[in-house]
Amino acid sequence: MKASAILELRDVGKVFGDTVALEPTTLTVDEGSFVAIVGPSGCGKSTMFNIIAGLLSPDGGEVRLHDQPVTGATGHVGYMLQKDLLVPWRTVEDNITMAKRLTGRVSAADRAEARRVARQYGLGEFLRHYPSALSGGMRQRVAFMRTLVTHQPLLLLDEPFGALDAQTRLEMQQWLLQVWKDTERTVLFITHDVDESIFLSDRVLVMSPRPGRVVADIVNPLARPRTVDTLVDPQFVTIKARIMHLLHGGDA
Amino acid sequence: MSGFVRPAAPRRRDRATPESVTRKVARNVGVPLLSIVLLLALWQGIVVYFHVAPYIAPRPRQAVLAVTQNWSTLWPLVLGTIRETVYGFIAGAALGIGLGVIMAKVPVLQRLVYPVLVLSQAVPIIALAAPLVLILGFSVTPKVVIVAWIVFFPVTVNVLDGLSHVDQDLVNLARVYGAPRWRTFIQIEIPATATPLFSGLKIGATYAVTGAIIGELAASDGSSLALYQEHANTNLNTAAVYGTTMLMTVIGISWFLLVVGAEVFATPWQRRTVARRWRRGDRSEDEPAR
Repeated sequence: MKASAILELRDVGKVFGDTVALEPTTLTVDEGSFVAIVGPSGCGKSTMFNIIAGLLSPDGGEVRLHDQPVTGATGHVGYMLQKDLLVPWRTVEDNITMAKRLTGRVSAADRAEARRVARQYGLGEFLRHYPSALSGGMRQRVAFMRTLVTHQPLLLLDEPFGALDAQTRLEMQQWLLQVWKDTERTVLFITHDVDESIFLSDRVLVMSPRPGRVVADIVNPLARPRTVDTLVDPQFVTIKARIMHLLHGGDA
Repeated sequence: MSGFVRPAAPRRRDRATPESVTRKVARNVGVPLLSIVLLLALWQGIVVYFHVAPYIAPRPRQAVLAVTQNWSTLWPLVLGTIRETVYGFIAGAALGIGLGVIMAKVPVLQRLVYPVLVLSQAVPIIALAAPLVLILGFSVTPKVVIVAWIVFFPVTVNVLDGLSHVDQDLVNLARVYGAPRWRTFIQIEIPATATPLFSGLKIGATYAVTGAIIGELAASDGSSLALYQEHANTNLNTAAVYGTTMLMTVIGISWFLLVVGAEVFATPWQRRTVARRWRRGDRSEDEPAR
């Protein structure tokens, strides 16, 4: 793992009216790492994402990407939500190249890349299909490919598998780890599923609401590659117990 | 590589096979045609069974003959009505889309303009004709204005509604990509509004011919389809009255169907699983063979 920081939050906080959505938070994310953020609703995890993505301006503090200030600016991260947000009027291929179309021209090389990525990850036959023809898991994969081809080194994934059934979700998690390994990106991954946060990550940030804040920063020592056996590894269970305890109102 | 690829389960009708094309035509064209035939049969049946006098209601055949036998006189009038309908519809649609977009983008204007729009539709259209003739004369213009007046409203309301219901997460995603607002508008907000837009256009299309006929009645000095019918009525030429009505109806239905056709053409994703082949010119050789 490369040790240099890709993302830095310095005292970044946000208040909506009387609600402290996110207490001033300081945080560093290493390049190439997979950081999971787990917490109940209202703990400020999506607020943190929206600040990093530039959709929200923080009340104070600074967001730095590759040691450059990017506070309040957009266009520097890949971003994906639980909703796949595929546009129904474009084919799978055109959905994958959507970011390019929105910011300039889609070149032949962009289309070739979209086709290559889709084929590599098992959607090559569906390039000319409209999203309505795809299953939920396939749609989420297309949405992820769309995020991938933006070539942003930092990907913010906000509960991307939250709407999928358990079986599909497990498949998608293993698929995501494969893609992450192939493409060497840095991933910030929000989930409310403790198992998911441990299964995927190098590091788990546990957050808590009222006020929204990070209450624990846990290094995940589990070996890779992760398999179904990982889920019953004693270390897995130890981390899970600690996170559960934190989430349900104890001290670390 | 992922071992988790599952076979696709296309949820909609896949690319049409020859049989399904036949069935589709039967369902989409045959059944509506049947209802028209039944309507004509009902008409015929009532006239014959109740011995209705020809000066009150002709048989369908007589009404059709009254049209075909006078076709050389009627044809230019039909063209005139079509022209008023089409010009008025285009003007009304353009105005409707423009107003809808402006109102969606500038909330203050929305509050300012909306009451005026509602007011405009509360004015009886007949009452509007007289001042329009005073202002615009007996040209094609007052008819076009009346058609546009009727058409723009459902278009504006639907466009406004559509634009205010575009998924904000999608708009935010475009922002995260760093997309300029005008591109987001063209590539996300406009296509997302296609369905309500066409609903408005279809409602407008059904009323467009009515507007043109009202305009012809109220603002014609010479020849027009509406005046032709009025003359036929004065001369107790009932067959021609019915025939002209059928003609107007056919113009109206044709225009509506044309708009429906435009919708089918413009929104292929609503009934297709796979994009049309010719949509992209650059089908490269690396496309896998199926």
